[in-house]
Amino acid sequence: MKKRGKPIIQVRELWKIYRMGEEEAAALKGVSLDILQGEICCIFGTSGSGKSTLLNLLAGMERPTAGEVRIRGAQVSRMNEEELAVFRQRYMGFIFQSYNLLPSMTAVENTALPLMFRGVPKREREEEAVKMLKRVGLSHRLGYYPGQMSGGQQQRTGIARAFASRPEVIFADEPTGNLDSRTTEDIMEMIIGFARRYRQTIVMVTHDPDMERYADRVIRLVDGVIVRNESTAVCYKEAFSRRKEGQA
Amino acid sequence: MKKGDLLQVCLQNLFRHKARTILTVMGVVLGCCSVIIMLSMGIGMKQAQEQALSMMGDLTIIQVYSQGKGKKTSKITDRTMETIKAIPGVTAATPRLTADQLPVTVYAGKDRRYRCLYLSAAGIRADAAEQMGYRLLEGSWNTAGQDRVLVGQEFAFLFEDTKRPEGKNVKEFGEEPFFDVMKTPLILEAEGEGGKKLTWEVRPSGRLKEDFSKGMETSGGILFRLEDLQRMIDEYQRSSGKPADRKKGWNAAIVKADHIRHVAEIEGKIRKMGFSTSSMESIRRPMEQEARQKQMMFGCLGAVSLFVAALGITNTMIMSISERTKEIGVMKALGCQVHDVRRLFLLEAGAIGLTGGILGMAVSYLLSAVMNVAAISGMAGEMGGGELLWAGEAAAMPVSVIPWWLSLAAVLFSALTGLAAGYYPAKKAVAIPALEAIRHD
Repeated sequence: MKKRGKPIIQVRELWKIYRMGEEEAAALKGVSLDILQGEICCIFGTSGSGKSTLLNLLAGMERPTAGEVRIRGAQVSRMNEEELAVFRQRYMGFIFQSYNLLPSMTAVENTALPLMFRGVPKREREEEAVKMLKRVGLSHRLGYYPGQMSGGQQQRTGIARAFASRPEVIFADEPTGNLDSRTTEDIMEMIIGFARRYRQTIVMVTHDPDMERYADRVIRLVDGVIVRNESTAVCYKEAFSRRKEGQA
Repeated sequence: MKKGDLLQVCLQNLFRHKARTILTVMGVVLGCCSVIIMLSMGIGMKQAQEQALSMMGDLTIIQVYSQGKGKKTSKITDRTMETIKAIPGVTAATPRLTADQLPVTVYAGKDRRYRCLYLSAAGIRADAAEQMGYRLLEGSWNTAGQDRVLVGQEFAFLFEDTKRPEGKNVKEFGEEPFFDVMKTPLILEAEGEGGKKLTWEVRPSGRLKEDFSKGMETSGGILFRLEDLQRMIDEYQRSSGKPADRKKGWNAAIVKADHIRHVAEIEGKIRKMGFSTSSMESIRRPMEQEARQKQMMFGCLGAVSLFVAALGITNTMIMSISERTKEIGVMKALGCQVHDVRRLFLLEAGAIGLTGGILGMAVSYLLSAVMNVAAISGMAGEMGGGELLWAGEAAAMPVSVIPWWLSLAAVLFSALTGLAAGYYPAKKAVAIPALEAIRHD
């Protein structure tokens, strides 16, 4: 069993400067941080604080102007597209605010998508997808298309998809941004539950301060600078006790 | 990604916009169809020409004539024949001797009962006859022996019965001739200028199939061994008090090429030797050129419509990509590799091309059949139900011929056109960043 406490994501002196015509706007101004394995990390900030930019850089979707991002020791910020694709297949999962399910595919096919990209045979990956969908409580929606499901059901499918390939790190971009408060709670419980169970690291961007109670680490960004970065003891304890329950 | 998965995703995407896909495919069907039909008409035209030409004569036979007049005449000698035979592509060559200057009367039967007053006689080397395209109706090629001859198909009908009265002394075609020409020795008689009569006896060993492109001898005449006819002419000339001109050589020869392709080349070489030549090639070549020009024109017309169809595919793909920008971003974010994205879009474009090509091929066969039926019935009507001897053969000639290689090539070409049309859209799709997945709109 992997021990908690080893940094899985390391960020050093990360700068991102956007050029808009003549003007330059710095979205990130030398951010450094470590996220440990198994941590649930919430990045807070208002719009324009640079939180989304930070997530994009962490996931290798954008290239930093300066500085580096390492995940599992590998320099994500230096990878080319092909390497990034393979790295994403193996180690990354995504949960999106607008669910981003492919409309031409059923819930099962959508959930199995990351496994398909990895080259897993159809039968195997769809078995796994069905298992995941059952766990998120969608056993009655397996053959449904995204257009036939509610927002909450779609996001649960999104969660099943993110966890189906058992990635070590899952990036979540405002995962509950489009959901009502009750569904939000369900969804978050689900995400945290899976993460604890498989000892996965979650990096979540949100502007909803309520999310703080789920987090092991809270990072607050203002104008591209980290103003708060702390492990929350309460949550840590809560999480710890929960893990014990899980093991028992 | 696995190949099967790529294909499945590709089909899912195509089925998502059925109307759009069908319209695009229809464009390719039209394009493919017009290429096939246009080219098939060209091929049909060429085949009709070739058939018409071969009805006129053997396409690989070259006639050689000596050129010039009087003493300057370049005669065809044995040495000339050897040189001609040595030209690559020549399978057979023989001098062709005609006996127009020989006033011969042919007799047959007991006491010379049956008489033929006019004879078309030709002499060629016996061993070349079969290669030159002479065909036998009966008998054998056993012409090696001296004074063995081959008679024309209708030769027996040229005889009149000297013991019957005028008006009843000949047999019409279709009736039983007076005697069996195969079993009757023939006596040839010629009267020299001095009044001296010369006679020769020959025995038929075969009956030739009528073929006017070879010469009259195949119908109402006799084909001799070259040496026999030569000897007869020599003897006749001697009896008339003229010296035999055998040593000077012959006036004409026929040469057989192994393939139409070599005919022009062989003709050129023989002309350089100082002889004039003629063959179907001089008619065939300009006809073929014209046919090729027309075919090119037709093909280009067809290709234009296929090109328009290709633009349609590109357009459809670009539209589909701009609709799916976010989707492509999501796929990339979930770990879809760049080459898989490219393959996916090329596959979609290629599938449209291939489907269009296959349907186009099917439609082409149908159209082609309809065209041929219409053409044949139209022609038969014009000709008054095939009154003419030709009508039957000409009407059976289809207007549009689709050889297997044309349909196969058209399908492949359509698929390739699809792939080519998908190249630019695929490039665009590949360039879409994973970041698109996160962009809110």
